[in-house]
Amino acid sequence: MAALREAEFAALQGLLKAPSKDAVRQLCQDCFSSPPAGLGPLAQRACPGLAAGPEEAEQLVSALHNLTRHVVYRGLTRAEDILSLFPENFHQNLKNLLTKIILENISAWRNEAQASQISLPRLVDMDWRVDIKTSSDSIIRMAVPTCLLQLKIQEDAALCGNNPVVSALTVELSKETLDTMLEGLGRIRDQLSAVANK
Amino acid sequence: MGLLNFTRDPVPEAVSGDMHNLNQLSAQQFSALTEVLFRFLTEPKEVERFLAQLSDFATMNKISLGPLKNIVKSILLVPNGALKRNLSSEQVRADFIALGLSEEKASYFAEQWKVNSPTLTRLAVGQTLMINQLIDMEWKFGVTAGSSELEKVGSIFLQLKLVIKKGSQLENVYVELTLPQFYSFLHEMERVKTSLESFS
Repeated sequence: MAALREAEFAALQGLLKAPSKDAVRQLCQDCFSSPPAGLGPLAQRACPGLAAGPEEAEQLVSALHNLTRHVVYRGLTRAEDILSLFPENFHQNLKNLLTKIILENISAWRNEAQASQISLPRLVDMDWRVDIKTSSDSIIRMAVPTCLLQLKIQEDAALCGNNPVVSALTVELSKETLDTMLEGLGRIRDQLSAVANK
Repeated sequence: MGLLNFTRDPVPEAVSGDMHNLNQLSAQQFSALTEVLFRFLTEPKEVERFLAQLSDFATMNKISLGPLKNIVKSILLVPNGALKRNLSSEQVRADFIALGLSEEKASYFAEQWKVNSPTLTRLAVGQTLMINQLIDMEWKFGVTAGSSELEKVGSIFLQLKLVIKKGSQLENVYVELTLPQFYSFLHEMERVKTSLESFS
C-alpha cells in the first residue's frame, strides 16, 4: 500500500515555498503530533509562512501528517526505506530533506505514539505510610500496624488532551492483605522472568 | 461490690439475681451453656443458630427461655468488656466472683476465656475501622502487539484490578503499569512488609 496518494505527494511540494529548513522541520513535528482534528487550525497557522492559500495549506498539512504517521506506523528506520516511499519525479532536495528530518525524529515520535496509546488509567505515582493503631471502639488498647497506600492514577491521556485528570486513591492494607498481595506480585515477577528468558 | 475490671459503669441491678440463678445450675449444665456462649462469641454472625441452641438448652433443662435470655445477657457483659480491655483470665474470674458467681463456675468460665481469647481478639481487631480496605487484587499482563499508530509494538503491559471496600460497597479500580513501574511497586511493597514486620 502506498504511503500517500499521488495528489498528496504533489501537495508536499508546496514545502518548497517554506522560508527555511527549520520551518520545514517544525512543520513536520507539528503535523506528526497533531491529531487529525487539529490539522485544520494548524493549516491556518501555516498559511502565511508557506505563502499558500487555505486549501493548499490544508492539503499540505494533511499530507505531511499522513507521511510522518505512516513512517512511524511501519517502523521504518532506514533512509532507503523512507526514500523509496516518494515517487520518481519528486523534487530530489526536498525528498532528502524530508527523509533527514524524519530520521532525526523517528524514535522520539515512536515514543510519543507509545505514550499516547490507549490504555487503562495509568499509575503515575505511589506513596505509602505505616500506622500503628493503638485504640478503637472494639479494643481499647492495641498495637496493630497497618499500611496506607496512595496511588495516583491518571485517566487515559487521549481522552483528556492537555489536561490529564489525576485522581488519588488511598487504600488501607492489613499485614495479611499485604502478604497476599506480595505473593501475587512475586508470581507476576516470576512469570515475567520466564517470558524474558525465552 | 468492689471495682470491676471489665467495666467502669455501674452494673444493672438484675445481674446479681441472674448470677444467683446461674449458681443453681449443675456443673454439666453450666459447661453446656458456656459452650453455647463461646460458640456465639467466636462466630457473632450466627445469631439464629445461637438463639436455636439457647432454646434447646432451655427445653432440655426445663428452664423458661425468657429468664434464660436475661441470664445470658448478664453473662455476656463480662466477656464483651474483657475483650475491649484485654483482660487476663484471672481478672475475668475475679469479676465473675465479684458479681456473685460461685468460685467453681467463675474459674471454669475464666479457663474457657483463656482458651478462646486469641480468636476473640483477632475478631475484634478485624472489626476495627479500615479506610478503603483493599479486599482483593486481580492481575493480568501481556504484550501489546500493535496499535493504530504503531504496526509492531512488542511492549509489556501489566493491568491490576483492585477491589476496594468503600463504606459498605465494593468498588473496582483498574490500573495499568509499565514494567519499570511494576518493579518499583514491588520493591516499595517489600519495604512496607519489612516495616510492618518490625512493628508486629
